[in-house]
Amino acid sequence: MITVTINRKKINLEKPVTILKAAGMAGIEIPTLCHYEMLEAYGGCRLCLVEIEKMPRLQTSCTQYVTDGMVVWTETERVVEARKAMLEFLLINHALDCPYCDKAGECELQDVVAKYGPTTGRFAEGKRRHPESFDDPIIVRNMERCISCTRCVRMCSKVQGACAISMVNRSSKTFVEPFSGGRYDCEYCGNCLTVCPVGAIMSRMHRHAYRPWLIEKEIDTVCSFCGVGCSMVLQARGNSIVRAVPGESAGSNKGLLCNRGRFGYDYVGSSGRLDSPMIKRDGKFQRASWSEAFIYIADRLKKIKDENGGGSIAGIASGRCTNEDGYVFQKFMRAVLGSNNIDSVASFGYAQAQRFFEGIFGQGVTANPMRGISNSDGVFVVGDDPTAVNPVLGLQIRAASHKGVPVVAAGYMPGLRMFATSRLIPRPFTETALLSALVTELRNVKGISGKGPFERVIKDIPSVSLHEAEDACGIPSEDIRSAVDALSHMTNPSIVIGRDILQKPEGQTNLLLLAALISLLNSRIYLLSELPNEQGLVDMGCLPDMLPGGRHLAVESFRRRYEEFFGVDIPSSPGMGIMEMIEAAHAKKIKALYVMGEDLVYNMPDSAYVKAALSKLDFLVVHDIFMTETAGLADVVIPSLSWAEKEGSYTNLERKMQLVRKAVEGKGMEDWRAVAEIGKLLGFDMDYKSSGDIMAEIAKVSPLHKDITYEDMAGGECLWPYKGEPLRHGMSLEGIEMPDKDSLLKRPEKDRIYIGIDKPLFHFENLSRNSAALSSIAPEPYVNIGKALADKLSLAGGDLADITTGTGSLKLSVQVDPDVPESSIRVPDNFGDKGAYTIMSWKINSAIKAPVADATGVAIEKIKRAAEEAAV
Amino acid sequence: MLSENAVKEIGLIRNKYHDVQSSLLPALYVVQREHGWLSPEALKEVGEILNVPKAEVKGVSTFYSMFRHKPMGRHLIQLCTNVACMIMDAERLVDILKSRYGLEPNGTTDDGRFSLIIMECIGACGTAPAMLVDTDFHDNLTEKYIEEILAKYK
Repeated sequence: MITVTINRKKINLEKPVTILKAAGMAGIEIPTLCHYEMLEAYGGCRLCLVEIEKMPRLQTSCTQYVTDGMVVWTETERVVEARKAMLEFLLINHALDCPYCDKAGECELQDVVAKYGPTTGRFAEGKRRHPESFDDPIIVRNMERCISCTRCVRMCSKVQGACAISMVNRSSKTFVEPFSGGRYDCEYCGNCLTVCPVGAIMSRMHRHAYRPWLIEKEIDTVCSFCGVGCSMVLQARGNSIVRAVPGESAGSNKGLLCNRGRFGYDYVGSSGRLDSPMIKRDGKFQRASWSEAFIYIADRLKKIKDENGGGSIAGIASGRCTNEDGYVFQKFMRAVLGSNNIDSVASFGYAQAQRFFEGIFGQGVTANPMRGISNSDGVFVVGDDPTAVNPVLGLQIRAASHKGVPVVAAGYMPGLRMFATSRLIPRPFTETALLSALVTELRNVKGISGKGPFERVIKDIPSVSLHEAEDACGIPSEDIRSAVDALSHMTNPSIVIGRDILQKPEGQTNLLLLAALISLLNSRIYLLSELPNEQGLVDMGCLPDMLPGGRHLAVESFRRRYEEFFGVDIPSSPGMGIMEMIEAAHAKKIKALYVMGEDLVYNMPDSAYVKAALSKLDFLVVHDIFMTETAGLADVVIPSLSWAEKEGSYTNLERKMQLVRKAVEGKGMEDWRAVAEIGKLLGFDMDYKSSGDIMAEIAKVSPLHKDITYEDMAGGECLWPYKGEPLRHGMSLEGIEMPDKDSLLKRPEKDRIYIGIDKPLFHFENLSRNSAALSSIAPEPYVNIGKALADKLSLAGGDLADITTGTGSLKLSVQVDPDVPESSIRVPDNFGDKGAYTIMSWKINSAIKAPVADATGVAIEKIKRAAEEAAV
Repeated sequence: MLSENAVKEIGLIRNKYHDVQSSLLPALYVVQREHGWLSPEALKEVGEILNVPKAEVKGVSTFYSMFRHKPMGRHLIQLCTNVACMIMDAERLVDILKSRYGLEPNGTTDDGRFSLIIMECIGACGTAPAMLVDTDFHDNLTEKYIEEILAKYK
């Protein structure tokens, strides 16, 4: 026990902490500028100086740890004088342009100077001059205001890991600069904006736009740009959002955000938003009233159902919709229209992976708190780049790496380049060979008793030697060996899995191999989730074979429960999945499609095929917030509300349920409300007054969400099953097919170039094109090409290339990245008619029905720019 | 672009230290020896070889005054004008460099042969005035002697 006395107050401590922390616990405030809770102590600003009895000099309380019997004084005359002197030093060069500095009102320097500061300085020389930098689309640097606390640099290198800025030069000429000195080459997380105590680093969007004290509303909500579900606060004035800042409440982000969350909200106020229902008559959209649109939809759906049966109608939900939207939508499809044809893009891999692992290891096995990653003693990452798909989850992996924990990254992951201890980048479509070599080796090292049912399965997986794997996937066997060594020493590892690994011809086998690795390593599982409520859609039964609460439709007792609750029968056989729906639409097997918020044309492979399929439908309803390509094909378009304009809940990839709250008013309607209105017209009791009514119903009927309330969610630790029934156990090994050795060692075809989907950090689906901020960071589509292929085609960064496949052709700007696997190129899918899906076809991989985006026979040709041609 | 030898040498330096950050200063010296200065491209390349973020390389290299961040002449003269050298008339040598070679402090001759940097003390007060040409040390400089010395550097 340590007893320390601060300002006559006795504080008892179990463990030694800094004086600053001990004082904070006792409610004694010590001023700081360079200190920031999340960052290592720096001791640079000298503002937290305190007087310690028996120590001759003042000490910085942020670095000095307490010892037993220590007596500390924080506000003596000597201390106050010293702080005043320190501030006088800081003000020598600080611009003192508070009247027009955007930070005024929330400036930490302003606050401490108001409390301690000298009213005049004695320094006669002029202040240093340094022009404000406007070289960047987002970040404005004003180094005349910088006080060199280095919080931004420490945040950028130690927490974010982008390492994009540093202190350059020295003494009074020290400035914070990115490498170029102008434009940033960074991740634009904006966490430097959060930590800057003064107005030295500000964002362009907020420049001279508002004053902190003019903010009228601060809304605690959840970010909607990926499945991490970061807590954020939307600051609003009038009916517009002026700023998004990280929240401290429920989320696992703990004060961090990524570029999408921080800057991407501006699409909400975009002028392109839909503001009225539209009905297409004679090929032209006409504005309609809400009731007109609802009656029209109800009539058409009723007619199609009466004539062709409920099975001829299908519904697709979006991962941007809330749990409440998802629940009402599946109820509408199943109970009102009598169709199990309901699915979403969660079935592009996320739902299948979860179901497979739950089948073996038990329900809820993929639900793990994110902090578990940085607390583990090893991380294995496979599939997509987590730092781009789920940026804030990616930071957990970087944090683990900072602790010296081995990180094995299997796949193309530029965001982990500096952080992975083993980087294994297989040739396209040969992940299977790599994974089976890892399983073979670990099986030998770890040994298995072979008694449990799944252990027997692991035992039966054909052995693949390191050399066989090297042959197939092109990774040197010694690299695989060192990864195996790292993996075999992990006792408490995490496995992070991206959906890319499933979207392969051997997706099912990859899943089995991953399950074997999980079992051999005894690791926690994390599934990357691209959409904010992918998990929620799965939980709410927006799947062709599952009911809300994660129970299979075929379980009679369970189906009965819902039938009794809904008061109607539900078809007992599973419906069509999302890919089957598109095929069925093409074959005219389904007549009507109800799309709730998804831009199918650009968010699914083969845009032309999807477009053709949708055009063949008798009736297409689309809810969206913009007139997307898909909405353009619809017979009726219903304007939705964006996530910032409605109430509800999201379930993140940890299965934490969090509240989405309304910050501003929108002109659309909640998806659930529109669906319920149509349900009512079709004679069904769907009289919900608010999203809370729906959650109350979910809490009543879903075993996973038993008794859950919004108050519980606001608390921040609302992981389901909340007070629910016990979870299902695992060990159903049904449907596991043992691969033969040949299928494990499939190799890419010779002289063939494959296209991979690139997942850029700066974009989100096709929605972020509507964000001016995100578009200013990454305005144009690109193709990412490996060094060898680029040299072969004599392409350099910045060239234009013509990419032609059997499906289509794109002109894209070239980026060269040595990490891109050989004989492949990567194209992002976020640029609408210039995205990867426009030139890729797809097939459904066998058992798990995830789409395999495929482009074979790609031709790449350098396009000569006009100037070059003129020169020739 | 760094020469193959420089890349190899930096690779060897990297293995000498426990962490890559420690190998940064010696690696930058290798580049400066080869190019005479540290161009942004060279800083980037060093970062890539050592796996140190390029912004950090820039931060470190701009902190130390012995690294040059603009192109230099083939030979770098570092002449001391601190107290002892000043008393021994080092300022006169500065004038000579200016009048006979057209060399200003912090400048480079038009033919790219010499660059001049005025140093603080180089520790040769007993034999002042003194200077460094590249890494060679010369003291007891006189008007005539300095010309003889510089004639050896082409």
